[in-house]
Formats: sequence, C-alpha cells, structure tokens
Amino acid sequence: MTTIKRPAFRSILLLLIFAGLFLTACGSRVATTNWPGLSTDGKNLYLANGLSVTSYDAATQEVLWTFPGTTEGINRQVQFYSAPSVQEDRVIFGDYGAPGGMLNPKVTVTVYAVENTGPTAPIDWTASEVAFDKIVAPPLQVGDVVYVGTADNYMLALDATSGDPVWPQPFETGHSIWGQAAYSDGTLYVTSLDRSLHALDAETGVELWETQFDGAIASQPVLNEDLVYVAEFGSQVHAINKTNGNIVWSAPAQNWVWGAPAYADGVVYYADIDGNVFAVDARTGASRWQAQTPGAVQTSPLVVDGIVYVASEGEATEDVTAGALTAFNTADGQQLWRQITPAPLFTPPVAVDNAVVVAMTSESAILSAYDLQSGAPLWTIAPPQAEG
Amino acid sequence: MFDTFIVNPMINALLVLYDLLFNNYVLAIAVFTILIRLITLPLNLRQQRSMQRTQEMQPQIQAIQKKYKDNPQRMQEEFQKIGYNPTESLTGCLPLLIQMPILFGLYRAIIVTLGSTPQAMFELTQRTYPFIDLTPLLPINNFFLWLNLGQPDPYYVLPILVFGTMYLQQKLLTPQTTQSKDGKENDPAQAMSRSMQTTMPLMFGFFSLSFPSGLSIYFVLSNLIGIAQGYYMRYITAKEKEEAAEQKKSKKAKKEVVMDEPPPSSADVAVAQAADADVTSVSSSPQAPSSQKPKSKRKRRSKKS
Repeated sequence: MTTIKRPAFRSILLLLIFAGLFLTACGSRVATTNWPGLSTDGKNLYLANGLSVTSYDAATQEVLWTFPGTTEGINRQVQFYSAPSVQEDRVIFGDYGAPGGMLNPKVTVTVYAVENTGPTAPIDWTASEVAFDKIVAPPLQVGDVVYVGTADNYMLALDATSGDPVWPQPFETGHSIWGQAAYSDGTLYVTSLDRSLHALDAETGVELWETQFDGAIASQPVLNEDLVYVAEFGSQVHAINKTNGNIVWSAPAQNWVWGAPAYADGVVYYADIDGNVFAVDARTGASRWQAQTPGAVQTSPLVVDGIVYVASEGEATEDVTAGALTAFNTADGQQLWRQITPAPLFTPPVAVDNAVVVAMTSESAILSAYDLQSGAPLWTIAPPQAEG
Repeated sequence: MFDTFIVNPMINALLVLYDLLFNNYVLAIAVFTILIRLITLPLNLRQQRSMQRTQEMQPQIQAIQKKYKDNPQRMQEEFQKIGYNPTESLTGCLPLLIQMPILFGLYRAIIVTLGSTPQAMFELTQRTYPFIDLTPLLPINNFFLWLNLGQPDPYYVLPILVFGTMYLQQKLLTPQTTQSKDGKENDPAQAMSRSMQTTMPLMFGFFSLSFPSGLSIYFVLSNLIGIAQGYYMRYITAKEKEEAAEQKKSKKAKKEVVMDEPPPSSADVAVAQAADADVTSVSSSPQAPSSQKPKSKRKRRSKKS
C-alpha cells in the first residue's frame, strides 16, 4: 500500500540551516587564513601561524613562549599571520580580527605588544580601536614608535610603550597595506595595494610625496642609501629617488613581482610569480643574471654571504604539493643547491646562526632549517598537534 | 569539480563585469545577480505557476483528503484524476534550494575576488582564465559607501534589508493559504510554505551578520528582483483570471440567449423539412431566411443534448 508522505519540511529546514552554517564556516575560513609570518632577532624565531604566535630558540628549537597561551582576556578565536616585529624585549604584532559575536557584525582588530619572555609573553598593552580590518603587514618599530599598516587602508603610528596614537590622525592610502613600512631619516615609506609608494613625515604622518605605478604593491619598500626599491604587479621593479619620489630606473620581470626585492652589495634581487629570479644593478637596473626556480615566487629573496635564497611554491604534481628552497650564487646566478620542502613556501625565509629557516603550513613541519652553505637539512619543527 | 564548474566561472564572470562596469564591484554584483536571476527565471516562473494551480485546486484537494483520509491509495488516485501531485507542491522552496550551489559558489567567488588576504589574492591568480588580464583590475575596489565588501555590515543595515526583502519576496511568491475552522493549515505543503515565509528571511538575515557585505548585497538585489517578479506574476495571474472570467461570462450570456429563444413551432418544423427536401426551391422562396433558423437551432440543441 502506498502512503502519502507528509512534507519533508523539517529535513528541508535542516538542510537549509546546515547549508547556511556551512556557508558561514567556509567563508570565514577562507577570509581569515593566510600563510605563516616569520621573523627573527638573529637568535630566536617568531612565528605567527593561525591561533598563536610562538617564539622558538633557534639553537635548541625549544618553545620560549606562546601567545596567547593561558593569557586571560584574549579571544582564543583570533588568528595571527603578520610577522611579529621584535625590538629588544618587546614584540609587537597584530591579529586578523575577531567577530563581535553571534549578533554583532563588528570586527575588532587588535595590536598587541608583549614582553619577550616566557612562557606566556606577558602583555604590555593592546590597542583594539585602531583598525577595523586585519593586520597583514608586519609592524615596524623605530625607537618608541611602532608603525602598523592595516587592511582597511590605514598606516598607524602608535607609541610602542603604551599603544597610544602618535599622529593626530592615521594616514589613509587608497587600499590595503600588506607590506611593512620602511624608515629612513625621519621619513616613512609606505607601499599599498593602491599602486603607490607614499613618503610620509614619520613624526606627523603628513604625506611628502607619492609615486604611482601600473600594478598593486603587496610587499614592503626596500631602502638603499638614496634609493627606494619597489616591486609591483605590473611586472616591474623600480628604483625611486628617496627625496623626491622620481623613478630612477625600472627593471622588467616576466610576470607579477609579489615579494619585495632584496638589496646587497650594489645588486637588487627579485623574483616573479613565474619562478624567474633576476639580479640587476642597484644603480642602473641593468641585468646581471637571470635564473629559474620551480613554481611561483611570492616571497622576498634573502641574501647572506654571497648566496641568494629563494623560497618558492615548488612543482606541484596531482598528488603531492611541495615547496622549494633554492640557493643561487650572487655573482653569476648559478644554482648552488635546492631543497624540496613538505609544503609550498609562501613566507620569506630568514637567516639565523648558520641556518636559513623557512615556514610553511604542513602536517609534518611548520619550520625547517637548512645549512646556509650546503643546504643540508638541520632541523624541523612539527606543528603542535603533530608533536603529540 | 565544484570549483571548476561553479566557483571559477563565477570569479571570472565577476572580473569581466568589474572590468566592463567601470571597476565598480557593486555594479558587477548587481549585473551578475540579474544574470543569475535570468538563468533561474524559467524555474521560478514554473514553480510559481505550479503553486498557484495547487492553490486553486485547494477546495477539491481538501474534499478528497477529507473523504479518503483512511484510504491513502484512493486519495492518491483521486489526486491524479484532478491533476494534483502532492510532491510537486512540496517544492515551494525548490528555487531557493537550487540557488544553494550558486550561493556557495558566490560566497567563495566574492571572497577570492576581493583578495582580502595575500592567500586569497594568490588563489585568484590561479583561478583566473588566461584571457583576463588581472593587473589593471587589481586590487578590487572593496569599499562601497560605508561598507567593506569583504566584511559584514557593522551597522546592521544589510542584515535588516536582507530580512525585509526576503520576507516580502516570500510573501509575494507564496500563494495565500487557506485555513480550516480551527485555524490550522489544511494543506501541509501550505503550512510549510507559510513556515518558510518567516524562517528563511530570519535565517538569512542572521547569516548576513557574518556574511561579507558583497554577498548580502547579492541577496538584497536578488530579493528585489524576486519581488518585482512576484508582482509581475500577480499581474499576469490577475489578467488571466479576468480573461477567464470574461470568457465564462460571455459563454453564459450566449447560453442564456439560446435558452431564452422560443422552441420551434410545428409549422417551422414542416418548413424546415421541406427545405431539407428541396433546397433550391426553398432558397428561392421569400420565406427561406426564416425557415433556416429553426434548423440551426435544432442542430445546436441536439449538440447540447
């Protein structure tokens, strides 16, 4: 006997609720995640990766402190990805924002200053009303002032000892700031996705000049004696006069140059998202050499003692994703060694002691160190959940 | 698979529209919404018509339900006889369910297109079709009025608009329900539709508190188009009803005219018979026109009998 079923409205309702929740969960995951942020003070490593910022002793790989750890009054849901700024005993970083709650759509973004001591890195101060969108750019500490770029288009100057604003009002650019600012002789150089390099009076935040380019700028400006180097999505690297903002030279790439250029010994090194690595004369922009690395490069090259290190996405196959760290001779671009990492590399490498260290998001490693000269693997730090 | 066939085409469509529409992302979303609505229009219209038809059949449906409440098989047969399919009437929220993959896709498309993190922007480069030059398009202008399109509206305006427009749309698209004397819904499908009328807007209003504003704008625009569509459907339905009523009225009037005319006399019948026998002679006689009338009347009556 056939029966007439009652409408399955409960299941439809459940399906819709599920769909909505899934939609929300998916969205927030995509919206607030990024690659790890890594910095060093030459001795210790500072890693901002998801729900925590952790300091490691580079020599022993021991965890020195983890923030927020057991610190009270901190939202445990906030994510950290911008590379921490370290100055003596003070570490400053920002988060990606915390939703206001179930019925509050306001996003609260916080800048934290913590003491560089374990095991919990006590908070010096926090500033929560200074930004309304995530902090992607690593903060820059200059004396007792910290400069923080925000994704809601502002460059903030805060008192590094108290978190109070220093400028009468923050400087607003045309789009998000993802690159760390650079400071020289009382001038702050700020790049933005608005395709511009802005020079500001570091004391007042007043704009001195602005130079526009073809493409967005996702990385920080790099300073030389009298030039500022800027890489942009318009597939070029530019050298700009520090005092007036005039373009001195422009050197081409074959695709977007995402990561900041690196300057060392009269040469500028940069790489594009097609994996091409370039070395050009820092004064003229004339090409020195060109090399290739596997996968896209959106990190900045690192130059130490005649070797340039480039972290890249690596060659992904259907089943395996892997990154690559390649070392080139600065003189001629000859490849010295290459190490395949467990995951693609999107974080600029740092040098500490005799090692070049890369951060990644993988189940087996979050940090891997390789010998600066030989490229031999030195140590690996597994993500906290994999350690147990 | 989902990314290849849903998300990536949406991302690229949004980018093309953004390029064509003066680098205005809200305009791009608006045109995109219209396109999506056009694609799903036949389904929506069909659905609405089906719902209206069900509504018109309600008296018959209820009678059958009452009569055969203990015999579901017979009830089913009777439903089939009148052309009513209960499962079809349960699809009140079908257009919305069909929109779910679109919403999932659009959610991701908006997040990726806005490139609010380096990771999202890098993902964008890998999802963009080769014929689109991203360099002049990026970064996408993510501010509109007070809104950061990648974040929820902090002033609750969009969540309220999402709720309001969706409620109005649901009200317009759902036929008015009939209730029994005790105030209960007679048809479970109707009860569901009624429940959806408030549940759905509340749910989506609530979700808009955490959705990026860009997606909430899509909801509001989509609902506004739905409201316009609802009004249009009502207009069409009213017009059709009017025409049907007029046709019925004119039929009734004709029928009354026929009924009012006197039955043919025996003389007329005789004349008609004669006419049938000798058409030529009758047609030439002066009485011919009057003799033809009864014949036609007879024919009409025989049809009716």
